Amino acid sequence: MAATGEMSARPRPVAAPVMGGEASARSAFFLRLACAAFVFAAWEGLSRSGLFYGEVVPSLISIVRAMGVLLVDPVFWTNLKVTFLEVAASLAIGTLLGVVTGIVLGANRFLMRAFEPYIYYLSPTPRIILFPIMIMWFGVGPSSKIALGALSAFFAVALSTAAGMRQIDQILIRVGRSFRASKWQMATKIYLPAMKIPVLNGIRLGMGTAIITVLLAETKLSNQGLGYLIMQVYTRFDMPTLYALLIAVFAIAGASNALIGRAIRE
Amino acid sequence: MTSLSSETSLTGADPSKPSGSAPAMVIDDVVKRFGRGNDIVTAVDHVSFNVQQGEFVSVIGPSGCGKSTLFNIIGGLLGDYDGNVLIGDERISAPHPEVGMVFQEESTFPWRNVIDNVAFPLELQGVAKSERMDRAHHFIDMVGLANFEKNYPSQLSGGMKQRVSIARTLVSQPKILLMDEPFAALDEQTRLLLGDKITQIQQQLHQTTLLITHNLTEAVQLSDRIVVMTYRPGRVKRIVNIDLPRPRTSDVVGSDAFGHYVAEIWNDLREEASRGMADSETAASRRGAHG
Ligand SMILES: Nc1ncnc2c1ncn2[C@@H]1O[C@H](COP(=O)(O)OP(=O)(O)OP(=O)(O)O)[C@@H](O)[C@H]1O
Ligand SMILES: [Mg+2]
Repeated sequence: MAATGEMSARPRPVAAPVMGGEASARSAFFLRLACAAFVFAAWEGLSRSGLFYGEVVPSLISIVRAMGVLLVDPVFWTNLKVTFLEVAASLAIGTLLGVVTGIVLGANRFLMRAFEPYIYYLSPTPRIILFPIMIMWFGVGPSSKIALGALSAFFAVALSTAAGMRQIDQILIRVGRSFRASKWQMATKIYLPAMKIPVLNGIRLGMGTAIITVLLAETKLSNQGLGYLIMQVYTRFDMPTLYALLIAVFAIAGASNALIGRAIRE
Repeated sequence: MTSLSSETSLTGADPSKPSGSAPAMVIDDVVKRFGRGNDIVTAVDHVSFNVQQGEFVSVIGPSGCGKSTLFNIIGGLLGDYDGNVLIGDERISAPHPEVGMVFQEESTFPWRNVIDNVAFPLELQGVAKSERMDRAHHFIDMVGLANFEKNYPSQLSGGMKQRVSIARTLVSQPKILLMDEPFAALDEQTRLLLGDKITQIQQQLHQTTLLITHNLTEAVQLSDRIVVMTYRPGRVKRIVNIDLPRPRTSDVVGSDAFGHYVAEIWNDLREEASRGMADSETAASRRGAHG
């Protein structure tokens, strides 16, 4: 028995490399699919079991139907546009200020030592606590969301730019100097390419926190945007539409993250 | 043995070299200390020697004796030193346009492929793209990487990357070539063959070359003169003329004369190297006693 068991086990390592490439990617995909199917089934089961009050767990069919209604509703699209523009503006402002600050801090050891504590201790504090101040400064409209979003993107971009700046291999700088590269050539041919990855990673992180902060701010106090829409739907207690909205937000956030991820790889 | 002459004079006046012409490079009483207070390390201690126009000089010495420090000073990357390094009439405190450097550390640009790495200095000079590629191609071919032009450094071995750096410096055709252990990552055979190529170019272009190394065979194979350094503080222990005939190829390694030079210099080096070893052992035991 033991002998045959060993015999049958032996070919397995030979088979393993075949599983390693495409095949394992395919089985991972099936596992993901199975997992999603299980969640859907469980959801539908819960929804029909009547264990929950009212429409807290609406049936999948009603969510899909609500999604259909949502996607042709101009109200959804105008609010999506507002949120999109707010996030884009915060990211643009935050990136610009963040890259400049990061380069200045990364290049200057003295400034870094002076300001590092502020950045490190301020960066993890939730920006939303500054929201009341932003409203006083910029009003209830998109400006206060942009300001808050820009602030959160700024920290992510500044920190990773400064880190990227300091992590540049010193030998590459010496090579540039030995070939007598001008200041401009040093910046464009050595610093920039060497820092591209950390800066793009910072922008990616910055976009994530900008989306979170903008949406959160919209749910608190606003008159437009996806966060505002979510709260509207919530006060109506329109659960299927609420879930449809959440799924839409997940999809958009995921897609934009994937887009930047691809830019980094190229 | 009579051909083995040692000189201690600082002028480097050498009857075998054309007299009258000014040396390409004068290293005059150079001192470099690191650190401050009780922690001062004297890396280079009153080092003086000359390099003549078109001459190939090697600096050899045990690890940690200050060779790379001297290399960086001569290259103008370490402006803060005592004494003088003169090229022409100019005291070096910044990189000189006629000097090309090959570094000891891995120094290729990871985001550029081989040909773009090698073309880098030409790009800085604003050479047109097609000419840039032609010239880069020539030197890539010479270091034996013709099939790897489109590869990125991450796809190359350590020795191949080092050859890319050598080609990158050669392509700028410096009048004075400084190399800091450029062959350290290469196997013995590649080292000998690449050494032949370098000697060829050096002889053709009449290029003044200073090679930093701790490889004795390499030094004797390539050099007109060898500067032997002491272990800390780094001083000139001896300067040896290598009177082997040129043109010289790696075949010279097998000759009797070659063996004599190696044996002779090895005597000096062994003394210094064992001082270095003893030094680091006592440092280790002192650290052990503390811990
Ligand atoms: N930037 C620095 N700061 C402090 N000490 C330094 C610095 N650079 C070099 N040293 C010291 O100077 C001495 C000489 O170093 P160097 O790198 O010149 O040696 P080397 O002869 O090139 O050695 P190797 O053959 O191992 O490359 C060493 O003791 C080293 O610790
Ligand atoms: Mg060294």
